[in-house]
Amino acid sequence: MADLSAAPLDATRAHYLALTRQRRLYGGIMLLVFVLLMASGFGIANDRNAGGFLPGLPHIFDFPAGVISEAWTKRANLPDHLRNALPALVETINIAAVATLFGAFFAILLSMFATRGLAPWPRLIPVFRRIMDLMRAVPEIVIALVLIFVLGGGPVPAAIAIAFHTVGALGKLFSEVNENADQKPLEGLASVGAIWPQRMLLGLVPQVAPNWFSYALLRFEINIRASAILGFVGAGGIGYELKNAISWGQGKFDEAAAVFILLFLTIVFFDQLSSYVRNRLTYGSDKGAGK
Amino acid sequence: MSFVSPSDDPRHMHNRAAAMIARKRLLTFVAPLFVLGYFVYIFFAFDIMGLAERARLDNAVTLVSDTYSYKTVVERNNRTGEIGVAVEGERKGTYDASNYPGWVTVGEDAALITLDDGGTIEIVGDIVRYDVPGFGVVEATQNRTDGVKLNLDTADLPDWISYSKTRVTITTDAARLSLTKARTEVFVYDFGWELFWVTLDSPYSGHSLMEVLTGPQLDPTRPNIAGAWHDFWNNAIWRHGETAWALFETILMAFLGTFGAAIVALPLAFMAAKNFAPFMAVRMLARRLFDFLRGVDGLIWTILLSRAFGPGPMTGALAMLFTDTGSFGKLFSEALENVDSKQIEGIASTGAKPMQRYRFGVIPQIVPVLLSQVLYFLESNTRSATIIGAITGGGIGLLLTQAMITQKDWEEVTYYIILIILMVMGMDTISSWLRRKLIKGD
Amino acid sequence: MLEVKGLTKRFGGNIAVDNVSFTVDRPMMIGIIGRSGAGKSTFLRMMNRLTEASEGVLAFEGRNVLPLVGKAKREWQSTCAMIFQQFNLVPRMDVVSNVLHGTLGRRSTLATMFNLYPESDIHQAIDILDRLGIAQHAEKRAEALSGGQQQRVAIARALMQDPKVILADEPIASLDPMNAQTVMEALRRIHDEDGRMVIANLHTLDTARRYCDRIIGMRDGRVVFDGTPAQLTTGVARDIYGAGADFSEAATSTEIRDHHDIEAAEIRNAEVAI
Repeated sequence: MADLSAAPLDATRAHYLALTRQRRLYGGIMLLVFVLLMASGFGIANDRNAGGFLPGLPHIFDFPAGVISEAWTKRANLPDHLRNALPALVETINIAAVATLFGAFFAILLSMFATRGLAPWPRLIPVFRRIMDLMRAVPEIVIALVLIFVLGGGPVPAAIAIAFHTVGALGKLFSEVNENADQKPLEGLASVGAIWPQRMLLGLVPQVAPNWFSYALLRFEINIRASAILGFVGAGGIGYELKNAISWGQGKFDEAAAVFILLFLTIVFFDQLSSYVRNRLTYGSDKGAGK
Repeated sequence: MSFVSPSDDPRHMHNRAAAMIARKRLLTFVAPLFVLGYFVYIFFAFDIMGLAERARLDNAVTLVSDTYSYKTVVERNNRTGEIGVAVEGERKGTYDASNYPGWVTVGEDAALITLDDGGTIEIVGDIVRYDVPGFGVVEATQNRTDGVKLNLDTADLPDWISYSKTRVTITTDAARLSLTKARTEVFVYDFGWELFWVTLDSPYSGHSLMEVLTGPQLDPTRPNIAGAWHDFWNNAIWRHGETAWALFETILMAFLGTFGAAIVALPLAFMAAKNFAPFMAVRMLARRLFDFLRGVDGLIWTILLSRAFGPGPMTGALAMLFTDTGSFGKLFSEALENVDSKQIEGIASTGAKPMQRYRFGVIPQIVPVLLSQVLYFLESNTRSATIIGAITGGGIGLLLTQAMITQKDWEEVTYYIILIILMVMGMDTISSWLRRKLIKGD
Repeated sequence: MLEVKGLTKRFGGNIAVDNVSFTVDRPMMIGIIGRSGAGKSTFLRMMNRLTEASEGVLAFEGRNVLPLVGKAKREWQSTCAMIFQQFNLVPRMDVVSNVLHGTLGRRSTLATMFNLYPESDIHQAIDILDRLGIAQHAEKRAEALSGGQQQRVAIARALMQDPKVILADEPIASLDPMNAQTVMEALRRIHDEDGRMVIANLHTLDTARRYCDRIIGMRDGRVVFDGTPAQLTTGVARDIYGAGADFSEAATSTEIRDHHDIEAAEIRNAEVAI
């Protein structure tokens, strides 16, 4: 057999070498392009920045050091500042919570409309998918700024803006969850004459609720960050406090430090909480499946 | 003979089932009730009632009408008697005597405007006459000593005319007339985005694309296509060139931030993974570092870094790099903890050096997870870069906020919003295409 | 040529390999038999230095390989190739690349990082694949091949190391009988044609009888038999496998997987009982 395959072997050899060369070429080009993009991109970004990277590098700790040293000398004020910033923090968390609740609710509806086998109007599935893509693509700041112009500053524009994006982002994840759901219970319910809302509520929701919840929780954590950032551009909450404290500059750094601390602790807290609960959920469902 | 254990007692089972159903019912009723209660609290905390007062619906109307229409202003300076016609009242959109739009004729200290609904507005010196169809002629005059006067009974005016001693404003569907001692202004609305392609001072203004491409040379000093492109790209009102740069800058921020973070996070992730960390202390340290980087959040990093590096795209890129190093570190180390050790052993058994073991035993396993995470972040960071740009002063986010602050160029705001959405959707498409391409074929 | 003296491995309180000693004076094909947990795998892994020995000497060509570290250890590993039950290939890479991993020990780190191998190595890899009858799969990803083909790729990787010894840890335990035969024949041919020493852990008695020159039986970490296939009587086999009077050789050759699982379960139970 080895004798017979001499000619094909040469062909294999030649083909593999050609393939290797091509792969090396493509790999080399890709690596080169990537390195060039990173290098030139960094160069461009550096040039267009107000201060350069290298001149700025030694000063990277100046501001944190200034804030910390001032906060330290006025550490007696810190508890008061923390207490004063607390309502703003609560507002930021409220914005995120309301946005996540509303966003998740509409995401559930949209995701059902956009999943094959669940959709009440199957022909419109691509339409609902596009709607979700579009909602996902809109950065929160765009809607927030427009709504601040119309509705005035405050938590409502931020909550609407974040909710809008959340519908798109969660809708996509939810529809992926829905696609993996078992269709048999739905068929069973359909056979006993259940209408669409009943089929969804009784057949789908029990299957997918833990996954939905886990994604919504992750989104909640992301939304807290978003809500803080939107505050910075005028939508109220802790971001607004932060902006004010910073713009006062030297002399008010102790207030800035208080806001920094509060924001950091909040984000870490919800980050850990959401990953803890999500781990418990997946672990719990695994255990359930094993029984 | 056999004893029934307490848990098998039918009565007991009934009780347990009832308790379970009660618990479920509690969950199905209490959870929505809790959410409802929360919304009631939010209703007061967010002052939803006050929202109606604070809402400026007129702002909304201006915003919406501005996004699809533009106004041309015919203005007489009542001190000098000069008459000018300009789009949006901008200098770059000013018509000169040779190319006034067809609906206005300008004479010696006089102008006649013919409106779409058949009405006319005539400016003659200090007098302005508006012939409103179905209503009649409204005549207003002004002079330096007496102020503004109207030919109607000022006590009984229709609601579309407002009058005070210093100003008359007439607002109809076709136009808006405003008269003060300083100036007479007529705003005429047209559908579309004005001067989107080139401004009025360009020789290509008023010519169609076909004329520019195939017609005679319009500017003796340069070929049509190059000239038209130059005037389009440097359009002083829409600033297409600057906008394109801003979009590029935003994507650049996202690109540098995402891939920079991935490059930094990969070696750190090895230190944070249970099966690769040299010591437990190193692992704990690396994990705490990731938590810290993530916890500080892009917003705070942006503020801190812009103090050292000044505002600009690099500051934004670095802020994203710091936050995402934390996120990637966590994700990558989880991926590393799930690698199959058989492949590493297979490579190790050949006498491979440690680096080669990682390269062939580990990297091929985590590349799919790694790539898909990085590409997913690239898309989401394009959105973040818009927001960070608004704070740190770079990219399309900055242009957007600048256009918003002036509160008048809403068509530009719309233009930027459309571009941002297209950009994000484009990045989404590219990243999912790359994901499919790269993960399927090695 | 190979001298093992007092080789011992302890995992905590358990002794996996207990004072194993034997000598091999010329390249042979050696089969190690015994039930799961008898210490066969641990022995091979210690020889390849994937697992550190607790005590003893393992001298190859007069040099004790157990204390070797760094470069010397890697050189020994490349002299002594290993084949695994689960193949331990990189499934996402193509077959030739997997074979080329056999050269990692002697090629520069930097070049291999970028997957750059000399053309002569690539030719050699394809020749080896051809020798094993799977050259036509050269470009496929390893994961696209059947189990028997993957194991032959693993053998090709071992041959690429140009080793003096090939260690095979249950090479056919995951394969169907047809593929098992192909793989065992390939190993035997490598021994016959190249004169390399082959040490294979085998589950099935008949395979060991058929392909090996010498059989070592292990039980509870100790060598309980060392001799030619002819010397391996049913009584001795019963002793090795620690079975009762109902032991039959068929039990070790058919239903490979099930048998394996049952034994594993028995051992687990025994350990729990202890």
